[in-house]
Parts: sequence; C-alpha cells; structure tokens
Amino acid sequence: MRYMTLAVMAVLLLCACGTPRRGENIAGPLTLSTEKEVRGEKYFMTYCNKCHPLGESGVGFALNNKPLTGPLIRTQVRFGAGAMPAFSKEFLPDEKLDDILAYLQVLREH
Amino acid sequence: MGKIRFICMFIMVACLAGCYAMRPSSGGGGQTELAEEGRRVDPADISLPFGYRIEVVATGLTFPTGVTFDEKGNVYVVEAGYSYGEVWETPRLLRVADGGLRVIAEGGENGPWTGAVRHDGAFYVAEGGELEGGRILRIADNGEITTIADHLPSRGDHHTNGPVAGRDGLIYFGIGTATNSAIVGEDNLKFGWLKRYPGFHDTACRDIRLTGENYRSKDFLKGTGEVSTGAFAPFGTATSKGQVIKGRIPCNGAVFRVNPDGGDLKLVAWGFRNPFGLAFSPDGELFVTDNGYDDRGSRPVFGAGDPLWLVKEGTWYGWPDYSAGLRLDEGNQFKPFLQEKPRLLLAEYPNHPPNPAAILPVHASADGFDFSRNESFGHRGEAFIALFGDQSPATGKSLGAVGFKVVRVDVRTGVINEFAANSGKKIGPASALESSGFERPIAARFDPSGEALYVVDFGILKETEKGAEPQRKTGVLWRITREVK
Repeated sequence: MRYMTLAVMAVLLLCACGTPRRGENIAGPLTLSTEKEVRGEKYFMTYCNKCHPLGESGVGFALNNKPLTGPLIRTQVRFGAGAMPAFSKEFLPDEKLDDILAYLQVLREH
Repeated sequence: MGKIRFICMFIMVACLAGCYAMRPSSGGGGQTELAEEGRRVDPADISLPFGYRIEVVATGLTFPTGVTFDEKGNVYVVEAGYSYGEVWETPRLLRVADGGLRVIAEGGENGPWTGAVRHDGAFYVAEGGELEGGRILRIADNGEITTIADHLPSRGDHHTNGPVAGRDGLIYFGIGTATNSAIVGEDNLKFGWLKRYPGFHDTACRDIRLTGENYRSKDFLKGTGEVSTGAFAPFGTATSKGQVIKGRIPCNGAVFRVNPDGGDLKLVAWGFRNPFGLAFSPDGELFVTDNGYDDRGSRPVFGAGDPLWLVKEGTWYGWPDYSAGLRLDEGNQFKPFLQEKPRLLLAEYPNHPPNPAAILPVHASADGFDFSRNESFGHRGEAFIALFGDQSPATGKSLGAVGFKVVRVDVRTGVINEFAANSGKKIGPASALESSGFERPIAARFDPSGEALYVVDFGILKETEKGAEPQRKTGVLWRITREVK
C-alpha cells in the first residue's frame, strides 16, 4: 500500500509538469475515429467544457494532465467534489457519460 | 481489498488535486500585469492552426471594441471611450490607413461605444449609455452623427451592444441587463452606477409575475442598516408574491431592430443577460453571444457558461431563472460553493427557453464574432468568437485563466475549437505570460472578401478586489489570413 501511495504521488507530480493544452493550434487537429468518440465530444461540450474548457483548467481543474481512471472520474461526476456539482443519472445518463469518457481518453492522449 | 484500495486512491487523488476552498483564484484577470513601458506586440507569440498567419495592423488604441469596413475595403475601428473601472475617454470612430489612425467621429461622455457596422453608405455605432442611456448612432463619412434610437435602458453593468445589419436592411442590436441576476446589490455599487443612479434597475420587456423572493443585504447606499431587494426593482425595494412587473419597450436583456433612418424600434427576442456580439450566418440566421451570470452580488450564480444563441423572433431566452436552457434550481449545477442555490424569481415563464447552439466557458466573456463565408479562409459556416477573458476574481473564482483567445464554433454541433491563442504551456493574457501576444480579444470580424479575419484586442485590463484597472493605449488590431491551404 505504501509503494502504491508513492507511485501515485510520483505519477501525479510527473503529470503536473505536462501542459493540459490540446487546442488544434497547439497540438494539431484531433482525430476522432469512432462514433462513440464523436458523440462524446458533443456531450463533453454540453456538460463539461464550460468548466473544463477543452480539458484544461477553468472554473474547474484541468483534466488532460490528471491520471484519473474511468471509475474515478465516474465517481467524481456522480457525487461531485468541492465546488463541482454532482451529475445525476437523470441529468447525465450512463450512456452519455461513457461516450464522454471515450472522448476524454482521446483528448488526453492527443 | 480492491475496494479499499480504490477508495484510498480516490481520497488521495481528491486531496492531491487540492481543496477548492483553499486554493486562491488563478484567473487571468488577477494575473494581468500593467505595462510600465508600453505594451510589447509580437505575432510570433500567437499560435494558429497550420497554414494561418497573424500580423499587427494597428497599435496604441485606447479600449477598442469593434472593427468594420467600407465599400472600398478601408478599415475602421471603434474606441469605447469608457471602460470598467470607471475610466472615461472620448469614444471615437477611426480610420486605419498607412500605419496611422484618422478620426472620423467623436462622441460625448456616454460610452462605451461597443461596436460598429457599415451599411448603405454610413456607419452605425452602438453607444453604451453609461451616463445618459444607450443610443444607436448613424455616422456619415463626414463625421456627422445622427441618433436613430435613444433612451435605451443601459446605464448599468451592461450596455447597448452591436450593431449588425440584417438582410432586411434593418439594424439589429442588443441591450444588456442592469444587474448580474436581476437583484441590485453591492456589486453594482462597485461598478459605479448604483451611486449615480440609485433608482436604476432591470426593465422587463413583457409583463412578468414574480415569486416575491427578496434578498437581504446591508444598505450600501446609506452605510448603515439592512434592506430587502426584489427582482426588477430598485435597490432596497422589496417585491411580493404574485406581483406583476409591467413590461415596456425599450427594455433590457434583449435584442432589438430599428430602421436605419430611425424609428420603428421593434423587440426581436428577450431574456438574455448581456447579448454582446451579434452576427448573421451565411444562411441569414441571427446569432448572439450572451455573457452568462457571474458568481457575484446578492444573488450569485456559479458555473454559468456563455451561451451562443440562435435568435428566434419573439422568444424568451431564460434570464433571470435559466442558464443556457437549464433552470437555476437544476441539482446543484448553479449553487455557489458553501452558499445557497439561486432562488427562482419568476412565478411563470413566457416559454421554455431553447437550448443554445453552443456553450462557451464560464467567465470567458464570449463577445464579438463573425461567420466564415469564404472557403479559401476555411471553416465556412463556423462562428469565430473573440473571448475577452475572465475578470476573475471580480466575477467569481477561477482555477485557471479562461478565454483570452479566439475560438471557432460549429453551430450545428456545438463543438468548440481553439483557433488563435497565446503560445506556451498556459492560457492567459500576454502580460501575465510575459509574452507579446493577445491581451483581451473583444471582437472578431471578417473583411468583405472573407479572406482576412480581423481581431480587436481591447488591451490590458487588470482585475483587483477593488475593481477593474484598464490601461490606455494598449489596444491592438490584428489580422489573420490563410497562407497555405
């Protein structure tokens, strides 16, 4: 458990050194290869982008350079944290959240 | 064991990510630096997609807000003559030529002039109206000014904005609301106008029925005691349940149109907060950028983005109880941290507000924009929007700088892409990044050929706890063209 803590901290520190910027003018055009990713981009713009513009920091934290796994993101979305509101399943259905995660994965690797 | 590991990891990540409450605001407004020896400008500090090029057209402008072109392709810029921070200058329409600026017309002390359009051989300018109320001005080539719309209720936080010319030959413009969310409070005193006009408040366009929610605050005008203030009412005036506020024209938080020769003022749509940018798409549809609520004042609203709306005649767009089509009591979506949710102010709604074409980031201040019409520039039919950038901390806390760039938006899907922004690892105004790129883009407009996108950069404006601190002669006009296809 102690090693895992150290490992997580190391990964977080390394990630903090990278830029979260993913704009076309900085990182080149983003290629979305599946319909799921295309839908995810649209839902991201509806639900997430206003606080995490293009996955960067804004009113909320940057997402692009945080090593958060799918389950952790799901938990944070459903329960909220700090100023971030909780998103109920009625407001943001599981299928849409799945699509958003697929898009976010592509965006972070871009 | 797996479950425990997962919970530990989640707690650790949440802790390492930092506690929102303990973090200071890191918005671009507060990080802006005033220039001691003039503003440095270098196009090389701005990143664009492959094939595009940016250059400087004019520098040394004081609070520029708009750009337009005459029939010969000559370029004109508008200087506001007023900026947040209660800094007054002379509003001016200037012709940009041969690296110099020539004055075409000057206004009085009633800025800000927020934009201009050339139509049928004359210029049309929106006069914000901070002292005397908003106006739409017609300016002839010889500088003669005629008022075509007057007494517009825009002496508050937001002003008379635009204008643009429609295919119908009429002039369209916006009027912003007096307040953040319909309750006059201390934030309006900081803007400066509440002391000048203690009776000023928002004006409804149609009759509305109130819930009677009132907000208690200190009596900031007298300095002692407390007052209760209701919606669409002067500071210190309470409202009651079921009370009807009579609608009247002109109102604010609305888009209007007027005959170019004056008269026949018509309401187009209402329920906006600050419809700042107006543009017609290549298909002739009217779109507006609407600056969303701030986390400030007696009725703060958290997490409200800036909608880009497709304007449908006669429609109500949701202010002061909706944000981008969502009601303010939707979950905790708009609840400020450690404060109550905004209480609803209207007992009934004229219609269910539509969904926006796109939602620009919270505090980005989505302002002047235009549609690409030329395949040779690319992205035909997409909107290119100038994001002025956050005014944090005055407008609310931000964990990073937001805006300070030009984005392009596919209005069919709502997908937003960064188009032009300062280079480097971080977003922000040039002065905060120690670069020489964009400070605060406030308008983007294509020239008549559609081959060049002009970007008006307002210049340096720093936000402090005391208010805005704008810097004269730091405005810039940029031009973006496509060199490689």
